[in-house]
Amino acid sequence: MTVISEPLSPPRRTASEPRDIGGIIKLVAVSIIALVIVSPLIVLVVGSLKADRFQILADMGTFRAFWVENPTLQNFRDMWVFSGALPFGRYLLNSLVILFCTVIGGVFLNSMAAFVLAWGRLPGRAVILAALVALYIVPQESIVLPLLTIINRIGLSDSFAAQILPFMASPLYIFLIYQFFIQIPRDIYDAATVDGAGPFRIYWSVFLPISLPVLATVAILLGIETWNQYLWPLMVTQTDYARPISVGIASFFGTGTVYWNNAMAASVMMMIPVLIFYLAFQRWFVSSFISSAVKG
Amino acid sequence: MSTETLTAGRHRRAPLWGGRFQELGMLLPSLALIAAFLLLPFLSSFRIALTNERLIPRPVPARFVGLDNFQKVLTDHDFWQALWNVARFTVMVLPVQCGFALAIALLLNQKLPFRNFFRGLFFLPAITSMVVVCVIWATLFQYPTGPFNQILGVVSFGMAQPIDWLGDPAWSMPAIVLLSAWQAYGFQMIVYLAGLQGISDSLYEAASLDGANRWQKFWHVTMPSLRQTHVFVLIITTIQAFKLFTQVNILTQGGPRGTTETLVHYMFSAGFVNQRLGLASAVAIILFFIVLAVSLVQRLVVRDRK
Amino acid sequence: MAFHLSKRLLSLFCAGTMLAGALTAAEAETLKLMFQGDAYEIKNITATAKKFEAANPGVTVELINTPHDGYNEKIGAAVSAKALPDVIELDGPFLANYVWSGLLQPIEGLVDQAIIDDMTPSNVAQGTYPIDKKLYAIGLTDSTVVMYGSRKQLTELGIRIPTSVDDAWTKDEFQAALEKLSTAPGVKWPLDLFRSYGTKSEWITYGYEPLLVSMGCDVIDRISWKAEGMLDGATCVEAAKMMQDWVKKGWVVPQSAGGNQFYAAGRPAALAWGGHWFYAEAEAQMGDDVVVMPLPKFGEKGASPNATWIYAISKDSANPQLAGKFLSFMLQDPDYRAGYRDHAGFPGLKSFAAASPLYAPGGAMAVAFEQAGKTAVPRPPHPAYPTITLAFQQAMTNIFDGADAQQELTKAAKEIDADIEDNDGYPPFGEAK
Repeated sequence: MTVISEPLSPPRRTASEPRDIGGIIKLVAVSIIALVIVSPLIVLVVGSLKADRFQILADMGTFRAFWVENPTLQNFRDMWVFSGALPFGRYLLNSLVILFCTVIGGVFLNSMAAFVLAWGRLPGRAVILAALVALYIVPQESIVLPLLTIINRIGLSDSFAAQILPFMASPLYIFLIYQFFIQIPRDIYDAATVDGAGPFRIYWSVFLPISLPVLATVAILLGIETWNQYLWPLMVTQTDYARPISVGIASFFGTGTVYWNNAMAASVMMMIPVLIFYLAFQRWFVSSFISSAVKG
Repeated sequence: MSTETLTAGRHRRAPLWGGRFQELGMLLPSLALIAAFLLLPFLSSFRIALTNERLIPRPVPARFVGLDNFQKVLTDHDFWQALWNVARFTVMVLPVQCGFALAIALLLNQKLPFRNFFRGLFFLPAITSMVVVCVIWATLFQYPTGPFNQILGVVSFGMAQPIDWLGDPAWSMPAIVLLSAWQAYGFQMIVYLAGLQGISDSLYEAASLDGANRWQKFWHVTMPSLRQTHVFVLIITTIQAFKLFTQVNILTQGGPRGTTETLVHYMFSAGFVNQRLGLASAVAIILFFIVLAVSLVQRLVVRDRK
Repeated sequence: MAFHLSKRLLSLFCAGTMLAGALTAAEAETLKLMFQGDAYEIKNITATAKKFEAANPGVTVELINTPHDGYNEKIGAAVSAKALPDVIELDGPFLANYVWSGLLQPIEGLVDQAIIDDMTPSNVAQGTYPIDKKLYAIGLTDSTVVMYGSRKQLTELGIRIPTSVDDAWTKDEFQAALEKLSTAPGVKWPLDLFRSYGTKSEWITYGYEPLLVSMGCDVIDRISWKAEGMLDGATCVEAAKMMQDWVKKGWVVPQSAGGNQFYAAGRPAALAWGGHWFYAEAEAQMGDDVVVMPLPKFGEKGASPNATWIYAISKDSANPQLAGKFLSFMLQDPDYRAGYRDHAGFPGLKSFAAASPLYAPGGAMAVAFEQAGKTAVPRPPHPAYPTITLAFQQAMTNIFDGADAQQELTKAAKEIDADIEDNDGYPPFGEAK
């Protein structure tokens, strides 16, 4: 049926009614799926609006976890009440600093390396690439302790650098950008070399502008990973100086008692900046940059 | 890549070696960082694996023990169970997580009102930290009155018995799979979205002219164009699956009866809780080679299909 | 090379943050203190430190708040960075491991003798290293586990409510009570053993080892320091089988049901085998219907756990006198004590007990305090403790989940002994007495 109707595309514009109904059905379907997907997060938001941690505990494991009778922002206000002992403002600022340094540095370093690996002339590129892919396999949990020794030895313990430098360059993201770069048509590269541009110029003024979708992807993924880092900052920060919010929240999960109200409010607060960060970057890969570059 | 030599001759202003120095300058910062903070610690675990070193230094000096640690690991029943579990997890999570991610990416790549809003919404699980995710899902999984069991009761008209999702050896792994796929599919979704953006509209236009329907376009335009993306997603998801740790560590600690014990959790118990750095390093090295082998096999299989 | 590179990148990317985080360099006298705790505890110690600074001009107390998670590993990290603080808060059962590793020094002579004399016997026990019998740590608080029930429910069913450690339930009496409760209306599970804490929290060893001790065995022989022949012996296997039997009969709240079943709507769990800290939660939901009872006596004598987070002075401290002075100040600070009293802190000092109405005679938790004085048994004060507790917790979890008790305990005992052997017996432990 559709096989016949598709080629007759011009009249489609006038016959707007069926399309609208289809659009509404699609919208309803997407909304339902979205609701199911985010429903676990409703538990979190609802919980953060309950003032009494005993009530949260009593409601857990039933449908009352999805419902709050007397919503209050008390838990969010508590964040600042605690600030004498647990400086959440400071933690938030630390996390933001670490996030931006890691992401900006990471996007540039990884894309530069990926460019050389994809289009450079250095010998041994294939070997380097294979080694990088292999290194991605190493789980972070397995190198935490030797890495800690190295960080201590070079005097970077309890610093911002210790939380930024090890994560800027990443085999995964070099590989991801590399995958994108090798799909770029040869003509584009050749045209630039004919103009006599050196590798950095080609990378900077030709490849970067048409690679925004993948760079935005890397920025988002690296950003989320950095924001939610837990085990490493837990080990490497000794004081509040460079401690991120993910570790700060852990203080609500005490020895015998969990302060659910505070922990949930802090978790919600922790999600907001990274959501904004995601929304800001995802706009960059909305339109198709490659095809337009090829056509132009 | 064999055509490079041809283009090299076309360089006019930038001399050959100048270009290479620039390339070196662009590549080295990343390589140096990776060498210092990933390769070096990894290599030092090879040295540690041959000793009985401890987390907290002891009055008894650490000594060289040869391949003892490897022998201990490879003869430990728990290690093999962990390996088996991780393989089961990978096989289950791959289709669920990647399939769902691709479906949502296709949905969100269409013209849709409030598209950006939905993209944000569908990405929410991925930005939630795993610790928080586990707290929420423990509530959903609760036995016998949790929401999942209540839904089960309603759907089956009260026929089905409540399931102890995390406490029943038959259900513990599927439960972990579901939770993991929910938390992590955003990664694959975003990679697929980027991949879909890379497909030229002209391909679809050409297919339309040939009279292809939606389903045909999906199989003959979308899927082949996403080949590189599929390879990437497949390999990355597999590696991530082999690293399964946080959710198990928080929710089940490997239980019930070892049905959710994973290699990284096994290593973590040995190294952090038991303080046996040497043993943990041996596990890390074995894990590395297992995943390396799996990735190589995957690459070969994918290459054959070209 | 990596070093120079990192420094340059550091200045490139993070120059701005340097301004925000410049720490004031106090050259006079600085006391570093590593601790963990709930939010109120952090508030508490911060206020005390400020007061101490005001009372001692020129002294700065640098508080290093360390999340509870991964605490033991962080001490290891600090040791390898040669940055162990002057004062370390530590979890009681890990003390032997730290002293044996040479991290701590005795506190007698550093902390006021009057405060040391004020310690309860259980508090002394948790801070003492068995080899030299010296005191290495001190704290304001201690802990215990008791049996919680509903006064109304137990009375209605005609189950006797013990009011003192001396008339605690016997094994048969306890199992009869469970049996009776299992058929009582509204009861889903007669007993909550708090399996929900899982194996990450130290709970299984802390909460269940007393049952073994009361039956007449232990996780390790405390004279020969061998687990084989003790943990895998007939008595321990019998104890483990008994607990497994409770689970099989459906008497015990499953691990995935959450830790709130005792006071959740409808009270699905009738009895709770819980820590003293659980009282606040239960009381908030049930009011004075909560009744606190001693743990049952499974054999000749009763047993109960003890120990909590206590303070020690590191061996490499540049100023142990100052560290001792601070601890003395802190433990006597009325506001510090008030903070713990308001959160039902379990007294570890006699004078603090006298000022805690909850634990004083006639208080709701008086039995808990009496029990700590009469039956408290510290967990094995041995440097292999980290291995002992992990092996035991895994074995018990598997047994609860249906594994063969003998097989699991044998495996755990072998693991423990292998670790001890791996460390040449942790000399001088296990050497001729």
